[in-house]
Amino acid sequence: MASSISETNFEESKRIKRRKTGDELRDPDTIDHTRWRSESEQRIYSTKLFEAIRQVRRNSSPVNKVSSGRDIQDAADRVLAVAAKGRTRWSRAILASRLRLRLAHNNKKHKKARLAKVTGSIRSKMPEKKRFIPALQRKVKVLSRLVPGCRKVSFPNLLEETTDYISALEMQVRAMAALTELLTGSPVDRLASTSDS
Amino acid sequence: MEPNPGTLAGSISIRPDQEETGFESLQFREEIQRLIAVPPENASSFTALLELPATQAMELLHSPPSEEGDPAPLSGDSLHGISDDHISYISSFNGNPTFPSNKALVERAAKFSVFASGENSPETSSVPSNSSANLEKVKSEPAETDSNPNSSQPLVSDPTVESKTQRSAKRKEREKKGKGCTKKSKNETSQDAQKLPYVHVRARRGQATDSHSLAERARREKINARMKLLQELVPGCTKISGTALVLDEIINHVQSLQRQVEFLSMRLAAVNPRVDYNLEGLFATESGSLVDSNFPSMVAPLVCPEIPFNGSRQDYQQQWHFDALQQPLWGREEDSHTFITPDNSLLSYDSANSASLHSNQLKMEL
Repeated sequence: MASSISETNFEESKRIKRRKTGDELRDPDTIDHTRWRSESEQRIYSTKLFEAIRQVRRNSSPVNKVSSGRDIQDAADRVLAVAAKGRTRWSRAILASRLRLRLAHNNKKHKKARLAKVTGSIRSKMPEKKRFIPALQRKVKVLSRLVPGCRKVSFPNLLEETTDYISALEMQVRAMAALTELLTGSPVDRLASTSDS
Repeated sequence: MEPNPGTLAGSISIRPDQEETGFESLQFREEIQRLIAVPPENASSFTALLELPATQAMELLHSPPSEEGDPAPLSGDSLHGISDDHISYISSFNGNPTFPSNKALVERAAKFSVFASGENSPETSSVPSNSSANLEKVKSEPAETDSNPNSSQPLVSDPTVESKTQRSAKRKEREKKGKGCTKKSKNETSQDAQKLPYVHVRARRGQATDSHSLAERARREKINARMKLLQELVPGCTKISGTALVLDEIINHVQSLQRQVEFLSMRLAAVNPRVDYNLEGLFATESGSLVDSNFPSMVAPLVCPEIPFNGSRQDYQQQWHFDALQQPLWGREEDSHTFITPDNSLLSYDSANSASLHSNQLKMEL
């Protein structure tokens, strides 16, 4: 599973380099948002998620480092991005960021440089075609920061990405809740978690 | 040869102004297509005659009466004239005794040369200035050809010129419609979009036809469509009006989803030491409902290593009768947070497990 994921990482990074980072004309019909609701997608995702978590466990235990929640979350996000099949910007950004971090780590760069690499490339003014009131502009910026890899994206494409991202996140939450319910044997109260900090 | 130009000229002068632009353009297009189909063998002759100087072409043009190759020279000539300075074309036309020096005909030829000489943009820029006159002349063509089905010459001149200007003429028509008309029909815009690199959007009644506002409107519609999709996705957003508030809701929703993922992942991490992974067994039960009767069977393989704890767990079950119910989810989670090492995770898992068993029992009782 790890090897297949790393292969897709590499492919994704290649595709990302070829693709320009600016605004892309996208036909709204190409991305179907109902796919995250399908049973098959959920099954695929939960299987992959399980495998990924098992991998994380196996990888961390020899090092005698307990897998933190962060690792699990990263693994879950990665699997979600893979399940997206690379058709959305946020999924590609998730996979690319992991690869970038891994490359930087392998190259043994200075830690500061690595951080700058990760954050510097994404900090830029978002080109806007529509004139926004500053209040809206701020909100759009916040939203673009929330959705991974969508900082330089125009507003209509940002909305498109957000739609897909929300559907995917909902599926992820459902799958992970089911998994934890399965493993711990206790129902997860989702309403309680939404009322969280 | 002679009567044909005469009839051409006559029909031009007679032709009244047409108001029905749509019908004529349709006619026009049909005519063009029909005419193009008629002399298919002219393709090679066009290019051949392009190299000829004007005089030679004119010679060929005038030798033709008996020949079958009527279409070829005239077509070559017209092409050549178009590619050259159109004035020479007109003068050659005038100099020829066989053709009447009809001003209307000459003007029409000049207009055609204007069409064909420019590229896309010059064409469209020159077109609006001459649009009405051109259209009259251009539209008179099909009528003439209709009236003279047997004359090869005008028939021929049409396809040759029209084949080159076919695309441009169509584009010109659409341009005129797009700019001038305020009719509401969208059928042709989709047609245009297929053939042309840019999309013509027809302006609606009472709306500005400025290209900027058209583009703005298209963009706004795109944005509004996507906002509507998002509103349907985010619960409770359909009632809210206004982009800012909807965006607020969207942001809140995304943040809450991300927090949920984080929370669940922490739980999974805490649970993990236990999960040694009887995949088939786990997923066989997962397919069903995760609530009631599955739990005991599910928990049993998981807690097999914890056999020594079983006895104590039974006790816990009875004792924790209502405690577990009232115990908030947070309390349990805090336990799992603090116990990071595997040993302690066993304990936390155990407590969580027993609580879950208990809750499960309650559910079954219910």
